[in-house]
Amino acid sequence: MFRKVLVANRGEIAVRVIRALRELGIGSVAVYSDADRKSLAVQMADEAIHLGPAPSTESYLRVDKLLAAAKATGAEAIHPGYGFLSENADFAQAVTEAGLTFVGPTADSIRKLGSKTAARQLAIASGAPVVPGTTEPVTDFAMARDTARGIGYPVLIKASAGGGGKGMRRVDSEKDLEASIRDAGSEAERSFKSSEVYIEKLVEAPRHIEIQILGDHYGNLIHLGERECSVQRRHQKVIEECPSPLMRRHPELREAMGDAALRVARLAGYTNAGTAEFLVDKDQNFYFLEMNTRLQVEHPVTELVTSLDLVHWQLRIASGEKLTLQQQDIQWNGSAIECRIYAEDPENYFPSPGRIEQLHFPSGPGIRLDNGVYAGWTVPMDYDPLLAKLCAWAGTREESIGRMLRAIGECQVAGIRSNLQLFRHILSEPDFRAGNLTTAYLELHPYVGLPTPKELLLPAVLAAIAMEKSRKPATTANASAPISRWKSDGRRALLR
Amino acid sequence: MSYRVLVNGVEFTDASTGDVQEISEGLFSVLHNGKSYTVRLLGGPGRYEAIIDCHTIAVELQDPRDAATSRQAGEQSGRIELKSAMPGKVVRLLVAEGDNVEQGQSLIVVEAMKMQNELKSSKSGRVLKVNAAEGGTVQAGQVLIVLE
Repeated sequence: MFRKVLVANRGEIAVRVIRALRELGIGSVAVYSDADRKSLAVQMADEAIHLGPAPSTESYLRVDKLLAAAKATGAEAIHPGYGFLSENADFAQAVTEAGLTFVGPTADSIRKLGSKTAARQLAIASGAPVVPGTTEPVTDFAMARDTARGIGYPVLIKASAGGGGKGMRRVDSEKDLEASIRDAGSEAERSFKSSEVYIEKLVEAPRHIEIQILGDHYGNLIHLGERECSVQRRHQKVIEECPSPLMRRHPELREAMGDAALRVARLAGYTNAGTAEFLVDKDQNFYFLEMNTRLQVEHPVTELVTSLDLVHWQLRIASGEKLTLQQQDIQWNGSAIECRIYAEDPENYFPSPGRIEQLHFPSGPGIRLDNGVYAGWTVPMDYDPLLAKLCAWAGTREESIGRMLRAIGECQVAGIRSNLQLFRHILSEPDFRAGNLTTAYLELHPYVGLPTPKELLLPAVLAAIAMEKSRKPATTANASAPISRWKSDGRRALLR
Repeated sequence: MSYRVLVNGVEFTDASTGDVQEISEGLFSVLHNGKSYTVRLLGGPGRYEAIIDCHTIAVELQDPRDAATSRQAGEQSGRIELKSAMPGKVVRLLVAEGDNVEQGQSLIVVEAMKMQNELKSSKSGRVLKVNAAEGGTVQAGQVLIVLE
């Protein structure tokens, strides 16, 4: 096992990894930008190295500085967390070439699964189902028409180099096909300097379900079941859970999707922790989308239900240990839900960086908190707005939801806006409770600010009056009263 | 001492009392009619932000003997102040003082936490003042651009 590991990340995930390192008796090195000098990760780590100014291009994305920090501290491995350089094959390669261990898959595997189209071709070769469509770019209209007829409308025109919905068009019938291809192509040309488009079947109202996998360097590869991540805002997950409510109705899906994930992983020579993302349509057909070649934000729900520690396993596998677990050892107990507490306004998703004046987080039975903040911490505007991940575990999904609602009520974040009320809204909706989820969930069930119950107004006023009475005389007295001669004489005496 | 109380900007007349205990700096336990509430307070004196059961309530206390504290918020007619909805960095400034702008025209783009917020002109007019520079940081509520 390693003696010392550098954590090339920040925020709650840096804290999460540092905790795992301490649990395994491994030394930890944090890195930080100017904005993160006082961060929880820096406080908790054994050692901390400054990287540079706040912008991530000058700090957390600087490969040279990270490698220098590892060298300077004698760290033997680098854990990339998620985001930043975690899925960057060149970084993984640079770490290895520097004689260090990258805690994650090989650079080669990351490259094979890196782009959506590369992953799609690998999935097809492995026999895993993908959304029906072309893997080749559309060259002429006749070919496009035949393809669309073959897979059936509605279809989606997508830019090969695409991302963020750009160069994408939904087509409901053949009469719109030609114009849509032209529009998508010219939009793709403007955005990505490539007008190449391809055609895919449109999966309507899909669920987003992903499979956690774990593999060692000796060919052992297992899956740890699914996470349902359908509830999203701006293509970013808000609530995740394990098991998926869909698996309760269709238990055979877990094995089928797990099998598909493992087939893709095997063909990519995958090692360490990874996640295969799928779309599932209303008839329970599932389609492989892409592989996330890193630890996921939402990994805690899998840990709670399987009683396994994924970060421990990442480190053990990276250090060359064998995966001693076999597929039949994996069991799923109870139900876990995660809420991503963001520094943002739940009504318009505007970020709300700033100083956290007061903070109280919940505890009690079945609660897990992965946290990167504290009262007095200034949430920087330079990074992702995730403050903490609150997880609830209980024997059943119903109990788990009740426990989460209880825990949300115990949370108090003062000084910045947070999206806590959004979770109350979602967790109380009949459709969420019934497990009827799709990626359009928040569009279909938009958050409208919960009205403040009238009975809360008086206690707020009474507290404010108490504070005003206890503070105001003191502050005005301080400002206006002349300094006592006795005090100033005494001070002068001390200075002599 | 009794105050004129405004709750979320609306006059609050309930003069009931309760058992109020300060637990720690800014944290209060309030018992009223046998019910228990926990209130966190920010700000003061005069204006407070109360956080209670995940709800945020603005409480303003006006001391009647202290009439001078009432502020005049001077909104000049015909002028529109564009404020930043969030703290962040100005990534693009698309107009200069003296420019004529159309309704709906993009004026400035502020970025924070990977999100870009584009502010558009709510009417046609002229840019009277620009209080921001490209690359500079702005606070939530800061007036960025004044139109007339």
